[in-house]
Amino acid sequence: MGLGWYITRRVAWAFVVTFVIVSITWGLLAASPDPQVSQAATQAALQGGNPAEAQERARELRGLDAPLYQRYIDYVTGVYTLDWGWSQTRNQPVTEAILDALYYTIQYSIPWTVLVVLLGPLVGLYSSANQYSWKDHAATGFAFFGYAIPNFFFGIILLLIFGVQLGWIPVIYNTDVPVFSVANAIQLAMPVFVLVTGSIGAVMRVSRNESSEFMQADFVKTAKAKGVSQLRIYGRHVLRPTMVPLSTTIVGYLLFLFVGSSLLVEVVFSIPGLGRLLYRAIIAQDTSVVLGTTLFFTFVATVGNLIQDLVYTVLDPRINFDDR
Amino acid sequence: MATDEPSTRFDSVDWEEIGGGRELTTNFIGVAVSVGALFVLVLYDVFVVPGDTPTFAAVGWGYDVTGLDWLFALSLVLFGFYGVLPLYQNARMTRYYWREFRRNRPAVASLAFLTAVFVIGLLGPLFIPSPTVDLFAKYQPPVGFEVARTYVINCAGPVVNGACQGTWQYPLGTTQNGRDIFRMIVYGMQVTMKLAFVATLIVIVIGTAVGTVSAYMGGMVDEVLMRYVDIQQSFPTLILYLLVVYTYGGSLLLLVLLFGLFSWEGTARYVRSNALAKTEEEYIKAVQLSGASVYRVIRRHIIPNTTSSIVTDLTLLIPGFLLAEAQLAFLGLGDSTVPSWGQLIAAGRSDLSFAPWITLMPGFVLFFTILAFNFLGDALLDAINPEAQAEAES
Repeated sequence: MGLGWYITRRVAWAFVVTFVIVSITWGLLAASPDPQVSQAATQAALQGGNPAEAQERARELRGLDAPLYQRYIDYVTGVYTLDWGWSQTRNQPVTEAILDALYYTIQYSIPWTVLVVLLGPLVGLYSSANQYSWKDHAATGFAFFGYAIPNFFFGIILLLIFGVQLGWIPVIYNTDVPVFSVANAIQLAMPVFVLVTGSIGAVMRVSRNESSEFMQADFVKTAKAKGVSQLRIYGRHVLRPTMVPLSTTIVGYLLFLFVGSSLLVEVVFSIPGLGRLLYRAIIAQDTSVVLGTTLFFTFVATVGNLIQDLVYTVLDPRINFDDR
Repeated sequence: MATDEPSTRFDSVDWEEIGGGRELTTNFIGVAVSVGALFVLVLYDVFVVPGDTPTFAAVGWGYDVTGLDWLFALSLVLFGFYGVLPLYQNARMTRYYWREFRRNRPAVASLAFLTAVFVIGLLGPLFIPSPTVDLFAKYQPPVGFEVARTYVINCAGPVVNGACQGTWQYPLGTTQNGRDIFRMIVYGMQVTMKLAFVATLIVIVIGTAVGTVSAYMGGMVDEVLMRYVDIQQSFPTLILYLLVVYTYGGSLLLLVLLFGLFSWEGTARYVRSNALAKTEEEYIKAVQLSGASVYRVIRRHIIPNTTSSIVTDLTLLIPGFLLAEAQLAFLGLGDSTVPSWGQLIAAGRSDLSFAPWITLMPGFVLFFTILAFNFLGDALLDAINPEAQAEAES
């Protein structure tokens, strides 16, 4: 019953979770009227046709006349073989639409994640090294500001100030600029800034509280007594044990935030990424895209949880694998 | 749990005589009477009052009470008798908490702010008339602001250099329909309160029940419940809300139920781990040895002792609810019939370039509310839980 067995069980559990989520989403959609079927009926009624007949045809076309269990099996096999259906509004397979959108989402997600992961623990450490000084209070205030201000609202304000009033950043996202160019950096600066302020606060708080525990630990005092430099104490003796509890929260937390805030931030800054794909699909009632993006987001979240748990067990030798 | 056998042993305690058994406390009587009265009113609303007449038309109050209002009233009753009244009953503890709490100045300010939001939101709509559409008064700027004369039809204030100045008639300006933003924010406070109270009530009930049952039953029940909690935790809630709103439409009642039903996992976890830890404590063993029932142990000892973590968890959950509602409203998927802050923020989006106050005013109120909840949660953690390390934030 060692680490290997634990990891196997944990991965198997992640599969169970995705399966349950896939089933729940299917159930939710199966229990509600399909917007495209009713659309077909409305259209038929408007054109003087027989709405019931059109409805029937639309149902047949979309395979909704099959028995429930058959539809469920088809759906689940479709999900796991990456056959996620055809987008009516975009005229392309859903998987392709998701990949297209992912290209834009990644462009701001990577700088955002890197900044939070690098800066968060460092500022937290700095804060706890100067505990209760004005620097600490400033950092704390910033952290609170960051997670109290709604991301989309902050985005709107920044867009208003820097885009409309000052004209420093383009108001409309331009998809034509190359990825590694100054123009792209400028137009992504604001979304990245908004996301960083929104998510760095929690990381800072956790690392501040965790590292303040180690500031007075015996091994730090010993190191100090031996004449180890301050920088080395913070870097090697405080930061490293802090990273263990921090890394357990950071992965899942960031992925979770990614799912929620990317949607709003993309809509505000009109970035044609995953969040806006989902938003557009909801407005246009494109069920297969809604489903596809939803599944993608939930899979990301599940994988995030999985990684978080695995990292936790690998990093912290005190964890007992037997009772997870 | 050695209490289930018939108590014929010589050392058994006759709880009835001591009066510590199931005596009816003031709180319980108060809750029972109020909930009974509410229930009668609901029955009256459902069966006696014809469908489309306002509930209290008989006493001349033209407000049709909705299902959410009844839930809100219920949560207020429970909050009053189990949240506020105990503070009065245990005056000594309250004074102690207050002393601890007072040291944290931002938290005191936050509490004052939230109390103001609560009182104004609850009573304001009774005194302040609801915002009405008045197209001639559209785009009136707030006090201290001005807007180019071309955007407004009738400027309520003075016109200086072709710009319309704000007046105290519309302290926070008006929307593109000429609705008074100040009044809309007051009405929005009530929506916020409903959202916070009802969803919180659901979270407390389910979370505490699942947590304690899981901790006490153990075994298979524990495993199943906690695995379900795992799943719920890994489902990104905003996406779930979107999916449900997409399929079923987003009425405020549905949103509140959704928020409540899908955010109790943290509370359940807290309660469970706390209950497990507490059952090992000496005082729980002492209570069990003196013959207290499982229910009594949970109700009188475990739950009061987990209150600190529940309350802290909740003060951090509520801003999440408010944020989620605002986000959905911003995406145009909220309940557009309800004057919530989120709706107002979303309504101002198209006029940002010349009338930014429509979005900014409710946005800042929302921001300060969320900030206040965060400060409050932080301070409560320190004040209620003496074990937690004190962190002076001021």
